[in-house]
Amino acid sequence: MKQNETTPKKPGFFSPRTMRYLPLVVIGLLIALFPVLTSNGYYQNMVIISLVIAIGAVGLNIITGFSGYPSLAQGAFLGVGAYTAAIGSINVGGSPFFWIPLAGLVAGFFAFLLGLLSLRTRGFSFAIITVSFLILVRIIAQNWPGLTNGPAGLTLPLPTWDRDFLNWPFHFALIVLLAISVYVAYRIRSTKFGVGLIAMREDEDKAGAVGINTPIYKMVGFICSAVFVGMAGAVYGYYLTFVDPIGMFGLLLSVQIILAVLLGGKSTIWGPVLGAFIIEPLNEFANNTLGGGNSRLVVFGGILVLVVLLLPQGIIPTVSKRITLYRERKQPGLTGSRIELCERPKPPRPEPSTEMVLEVRHLNKRFGGLQAVDDCSFGVPKGSITALIGPNGSGKTTVFNLITGMMTADSGEVYLEGKRIDHLPPWGRAHAGLGRTFQITRLFGEMTVLENLVAPLQEFTTGHLNHSAMSGEEAERAVELLGLVGMARYKDRPAATLSYGQRKLVELAQVLALEPRVVLLDEPAGGINPTLIERLGELIIELNASGKTFLIVEHNMPFVMGLCNPIRVLARGSTICEGSPEYVQQDQCVLDAYLGGDFVLEEKGASDA
Amino acid sequence: MSLLVQTVILGLLVGGVYALLASGLTVIFGVMRIINIAHGALMLFGAFITYTLWRHIGLDPFAGVVITMIVMYGIGWALYFVTVRPVRRAPVTTSVLLTFGLAFFLEGVMGFIWGNNAVASRPSYVESSFHLGSFYFPKGLLFACLLAILILVALQMVFSKTWLGRSIRASASSEDAARLVGVNIPMVAAVTFALGAASAGAGGAVISILGSFLPGMQILWITRMLSIVVLGGLGSVPGAVIAAVILGVGESLVATYVSPVWSPALSIVLIFVILVVRPQGLLGTKLREDVAQ
Repeated sequence: MKQNETTPKKPGFFSPRTMRYLPLVVIGLLIALFPVLTSNGYYQNMVIISLVIAIGAVGLNIITGFSGYPSLAQGAFLGVGAYTAAIGSINVGGSPFFWIPLAGLVAGFFAFLLGLLSLRTRGFSFAIITVSFLILVRIIAQNWPGLTNGPAGLTLPLPTWDRDFLNWPFHFALIVLLAISVYVAYRIRSTKFGVGLIAMREDEDKAGAVGINTPIYKMVGFICSAVFVGMAGAVYGYYLTFVDPIGMFGLLLSVQIILAVLLGGKSTIWGPVLGAFIIEPLNEFANNTLGGGNSRLVVFGGILVLVVLLLPQGIIPTVSKRITLYRERKQPGLTGSRIELCERPKPPRPEPSTEMVLEVRHLNKRFGGLQAVDDCSFGVPKGSITALIGPNGSGKTTVFNLITGMMTADSGEVYLEGKRIDHLPPWGRAHAGLGRTFQITRLFGEMTVLENLVAPLQEFTTGHLNHSAMSGEEAERAVELLGLVGMARYKDRPAATLSYGQRKLVELAQVLALEPRVVLLDEPAGGINPTLIERLGELIIELNASGKTFLIVEHNMPFVMGLCNPIRVLARGSTICEGSPEYVQQDQCVLDAYLGGDFVLEEKGASDA
Repeated sequence: MSLLVQTVILGLLVGGVYALLASGLTVIFGVMRIINIAHGALMLFGAFITYTLWRHIGLDPFAGVVITMIVMYGIGWALYFVTVRPVRRAPVTTSVLLTFGLAFFLEGVMGFIWGNNAVASRPSYVESSFHLGSFYFPKGLLFACLLAILILVALQMVFSKTWLGRSIRASASSEDAARLVGVNIPMVAAVTFALGAASAGAGGAVISILGSFLPGMQILWITRMLSIVVLGGLGSVPGAVIAAVILGVGESLVATYVSPVWSPALSIVLIFVILVVRPQGLLGTKLREDVAQ
């Protein structure tokens, strides 16, 4: 599907390409017009329940498939929607056209509350919160008779239309809801928002470091995942004309929705729909042939285990992978190209100004008994390539983490272009103009190289969420940056398949996509071959010539001394020496710090004698 | 006042039982970074085994607990190799969804084997109570609590005094480093999971003495255990013990002063509050992976 989008030439309507989708279109039409085609109530009911599960699954896919947060409570939002419609239409009255959208809003509001609860937590706690919510709503429905009429349930008004068309309105309402939710999922997948969600799934801290406002992303994603299933729940309630705690807050429904997502293929657009239309017939089979009850538990619990173990990718990704492999069987793969070092004239280096673009003042950070950063102060002159060196354990990476907000300092201040930034979250600092790479590269492994480059956000606005990610200006700029580091040919490769050195280059390009005022590089030359180190050095000089400021942590001294000026030396968490490479190399404090204060061979020999 | 004291006494006794139930869950998380949502189902499995031994063979539940633990250890071992091992390295979502499915699968299996009616293994001698002044100590609850503490202490001895325990703690703190010094990681993980299942089974045996149970209760039990583990701090056994006592007393108070039907809701509210106020729990530390390298 994605390949189709990126193909520049639009295929004609009757070309073999389009005709391949004909069977899918026919199946879609058959399902959409199902009650018109048959008056068999049993099958109509089956399709309606499949649609309900499909809407739930498409929604769940947004939070669990895209952003990787395991929500076990999707069934609960269905019940919340159904109860909203039931309570509203009984106590207040009025049209389903009012109560169905409201049910969506209420479900979205509950997701918002749960999202607030989980703001400070990660995957595990999210699973715990959602499973608790699943139980809590059922306890409330059972034990608050004033609102829900307890275990006896609530009866909704009967439909008023002709019996011949009994199921039509429900069916078509659900078709419309499914169409909207699939469109929303599709839209999310192709925007900056969707790329951001997937980036969070791959590495949430890193996502924050490239400017993604992770709490808002998580929250919006979770709300999107709940709204439509809430509305579907309301339709379902009207359809059954009866809601009770067991029927609406059945735990197995959540299992079935999860199963639909996993079976069809999580993180795909149509996988959850396909999964739903497989799950519901199975459900009928388990109910009618196997006797329901315990069989349903064994069947769906068991299948969930089996799918996780044996078909973790789901049907659609597995099949499409097979097809791609089959098509590409005779094409040679991309091999690593040699990195060419051409003799380019060295660009004139800008004279570092005395104006500090980044300034650190009196930073302190203590881990238990260890003072990792001890009253550390230094500045990075505008237009310079500044190095931060020091022995292992001297606190370099911790200083980086404090500057970029991955950790919070115990005390001290960080200024970027004169503005204080130490109160900002990591993404806020990225928006302010900080970009960093990591000691061990942290690319979003399952995303393509190009997606890795469009994930960074230079600023956050709600409109930005809706920007197309993979086309237009952003993508062009991304390809340009990849060209700069010589990785353009790899743009459609998953980042995890790259070699270590290639990942370093892509990560540099990724940081540049932020258009940072200062680029922080954590051991750029660590673990890569000498040619690549040289290429990297050239690249940094070129970028510096075009006006970028760098702060580099590095152990490779020839690299540092040839590239950087000024140099800041860190030992035991504070700066002990600052100055030009020549000055620093002769400084006694630096020699002591690197070699150890008592490292004086001759004197030791003398005292022995 | 005496009602309050009595309520707290009952809560403390229940808390001792909860401590045993939650300890296995928190140890499994500490060592393997897996939240085993099927822990509640495993507990009920143990309860049913104890019940069967008592009902059909006439084995006293307090003696049956040994056999229950051995059987559950075997089941845990098998479950580890068949289901958990393949997803050891997978993202959080995978192991959570896997054990979530496993919980319902086990619930269905228990339903097939033992039916869906509430049962209990209560020998007649646990029906009465000891009296101390104006307060009473139900014998069933008292014995159950003592048994739970005994097993918990025994498990703690395994963890702190044996080579096996040291390997388990080593892998909990750093799996790679433990491997480098010769710890057989797959074996340690399997033993940890199996011990977790055995402790869940022991907890189940204790629960079967306390009152009636049925397969459908697994999900309520798992939320209760999760709340204890979250309150205590994921991975911390002492934290889990303190949290278990807090929850036991809290539930007892809610049941007495509000209504018994709302006492299960307490654990859920507790989860919500803790995750907002102090996500790392009482004795937990922030996870290492939250810190950038």
